Amino acid sequence: MSGQKRQKQFGKFLVNLTLLILVLLWTVPTVGIFVSSFRNRDKIDTSGWWMIFPHREWQPVRELDPKALGLDPNSVMTIEGVSGTFEEFRAGIETPDGKRLTWIGNKRIGKLEVQAQVWAVDWDFSLDNYRQVLGGQDFEFKRPDGSVEVVPGDNMVNAFLNSLAVAIPSTVIPILIAAFGAYAFAWMKFPGRRAMFILVVALLVVPLQIALVPILRDYKALNLNGTYLAIWLAHTGFGLALATYLLYNYISGLPRDILESAFIDGASHFTVFTTLVLPLSVPALASFAIFQFLWVWNDYLVALIFLGGNPEFELVTQRMAAIVGSRGQDWHLLTAGAFVSMLLPLIVFFSLQRFFVRGLLAGSVKG
Amino acid sequence: MKKVLWQVLALMLVASILLAACGTPATEEVATSTPAAFPYPAGGALEEALKGAYNGKTVTVDGAFEGNDPDGVKFAESVKAFEEATGITVNYIGNKEFEATISVRVDAGDAPDIVDFPQPGKAAQFVASGNIVPVSEYLSDEWLTQQYNQSWRDMVTFDGAEMGIFHRFNGKSLVWYPKKAWDEAGYPIPETWEELIALNDQIVADGDTPWCIGIESGAATGWAATDWTEEMMLRTTSLENYDAWVAGDLAFDSPEVKKAVESWSAMWFNDAYVFGGRSSIVTTFFGDSPTPMFDADGPKCWMHKQGNFITGFFPEGTVAGEDYGFFYFPPVDPAFGKPFLVAGDSMYMFNDRPEVRALMEYFTVPESASGWLQGGGALAAHQTVTPDMYGVELEKGIAELVAQATSFRFDGSDLMPGEVGAGSFWEHISSYVAGSEDLDTAMQAIDATWPK
Repeated sequence: MSGQKRQKQFGKFLVNLTLLILVLLWTVPTVGIFVSSFRNRDKIDTSGWWMIFPHREWQPVRELDPKALGLDPNSVMTIEGVSGTFEEFRAGIETPDGKRLTWIGNKRIGKLEVQAQVWAVDWDFSLDNYRQVLGGQDFEFKRPDGSVEVVPGDNMVNAFLNSLAVAIPSTVIPILIAAFGAYAFAWMKFPGRRAMFILVVALLVVPLQIALVPILRDYKALNLNGTYLAIWLAHTGFGLALATYLLYNYISGLPRDILESAFIDGASHFTVFTTLVLPLSVPALASFAIFQFLWVWNDYLVALIFLGGNPEFELVTQRMAAIVGSRGQDWHLLTAGAFVSMLLPLIVFFSLQRFFVRGLLAGSVKG
Repeated sequence: MKKVLWQVLALMLVASILLAACGTPATEEVATSTPAAFPYPAGGALEEALKGAYNGKTVTVDGAFEGNDPDGVKFAESVKAFEEATGITVNYIGNKEFEATISVRVDAGDAPDIVDFPQPGKAAQFVASGNIVPVSEYLSDEWLTQQYNQSWRDMVTFDGAEMGIFHRFNGKSLVWYPKKAWDEAGYPIPETWEELIALNDQIVADGDTPWCIGIESGAATGWAATDWTEEMMLRTTSLENYDAWVAGDLAFDSPEVKKAVESWSAMWFNDAYVFGGRSSIVTTFFGDSPTPMFDADGPKCWMHKQGNFITGFFPEGTVAGEDYGFFYFPPVDPAFGKPFLVAGDSMYMFNDRPEVRALMEYFTVPESASGWLQGGGALAAHQTVTPDMYGVELEKGIAELVAQATSFRFDGSDLMPGEVGAGSFWEHISSYVAGSEDLDTAMQAIDATWPK
């Protein structure tokens, strides 16, 4: 009995250990980026983020003048009990007493540094990356009359509001339509139901990219280009197939008894849909809402085409792409940018998560 | 609970619709016309516009930089004088995926009024499809001759027809060096190829490596090596041969091109000359490659050849003229003078309306690049530009070097067909540098991809 128990515990331990390793593997890069986002560019360039942990570092104690010591860098040099060539001294040679001799500079005007190992932590953090991402960069213009004018760049508030204005309707509209559609496919009898449903499912495999030019043409004819309505409709269309399919799976699985008793009591389809099906499907609605919201929030291509890259309508994703500069020289800002743009999706995820975790159906058949 | 969820959703929907409503641009206020602070051609649309004839109209410009990035801010600064003087609104809508989106937009009949192409070669496809309005329809030859050196006009001429207006450019024939340490070490600025080789050997004798070179750039790895090839083509053979090579009439597998490649590879493949040795060239990001020049323990390498945009990659706080300086990449053969390699942006008109013409006319004066001249990052392509228009010492210094050049040519790989200039040339020159292909194989492989 106890042997079995021990075996069980060991199995549990093994599972937990594997999970722990996987979690670490997945999160270490994120932690690295997070730490890097608080370091300035030169720091990221010259040392790793793990330098924030205590480590041993060589630091100069005193300097020696090779010329005064009569050393010839073109041959083997001997000093303080160690000897080596110029190249070896450049890389640093450790002396028997735990010090290190390093040649700094070139052969002609260089110097020797005696270095000792000390414990160090690199805690030189700055909020500069976040300031530039959120507040925008400043640009200096030197006027011909010699004056300097500073023109502030755009901050991120606008991009955030624009992204919200795109993402929320683009999430709510397809959910509403898809819920109606899924209900119809699951509980209403009409000719061609199967064929239509297969058509919707088939649309799942159509890549949205092939629709870009035709839709843009239609929008041009309707004068919809570069408006919010255009992108809401586009996201609705692109998301509808998956939404209908997902919600159909859930809604068709609702207990037949509840709905049938409602119909017997004389409820219309609309009443059943609004009072029974919608509340019961909250978990499915919430999980699709998360999918769709994340997809729209992270979308770059669709917004680029239908909002036309107009700075007026710049979204967070476009802002992030622009933030590295036209030649990628400001890549270090992406560290902070990633966390700023991650913020809202995380909030959405955690606030909607509880809806699909809860078992809404538990005991509902009894009534 | 459920009720709360729906209420929240409904609230968010209403809120976002409100947001959308707020986002739409407010009606433009009517600008008052002030006397123009820039020259303009007589009798053109710009002259009419300055009288207020197109007040309140809007011109859309598309390009490869984002409206909110440094270039976007400089563009807005540059057209400010035009907007104030004419009352025309310039609406810039660029983005980084411009090369892909511009084709989609033009195909869908939604072309912007003016497009700012970072390479004239990119405009070729729209010239061929007849979307671009030729310059001769709205500007006189006399005016253009006055504003531009002929080379600039040649670069935007397709099959004999001038299609665009050159606007601004970057100089590429520049070598950067860490000025403080350089002066301390007492190195001279090389003015001839022999002096450069002597300097290389001097630096090696001092125990250092002369060059910082890196050509890694993701999918575009190798472009930095194409620049070196173009520099050497200009320095070791005639301009006619350079033009023939760019046009596809002179094969990569010809003695001229191979000689040009070998002139730089002799230096690159000498491990004593390149920091990290030959093997590190292909794996070092081009933007990181100059960083060892500014090492805290003294420069690890001393020279880096790149266009003036590279200063954006130098460590924060480094100052031009103090921490770093630059010199003209020396000529090899005096017979070919002092050529200068450039890259830059030109403007093309897609929709012919008077207010669009007015803006195109404005682009022919150096004041239209004032944002870059005063904020740094590019030089004006117009020959009427004067040194006092430059607010930034660095650009002013480069402009002086450019003025001394005997000839200049546009970055050849940007003018070649995309399959070659942004494909096989990068790929095979990288293989050659990495050592996985010899010169003959690489050059023949590039020739094979040239579209027939």
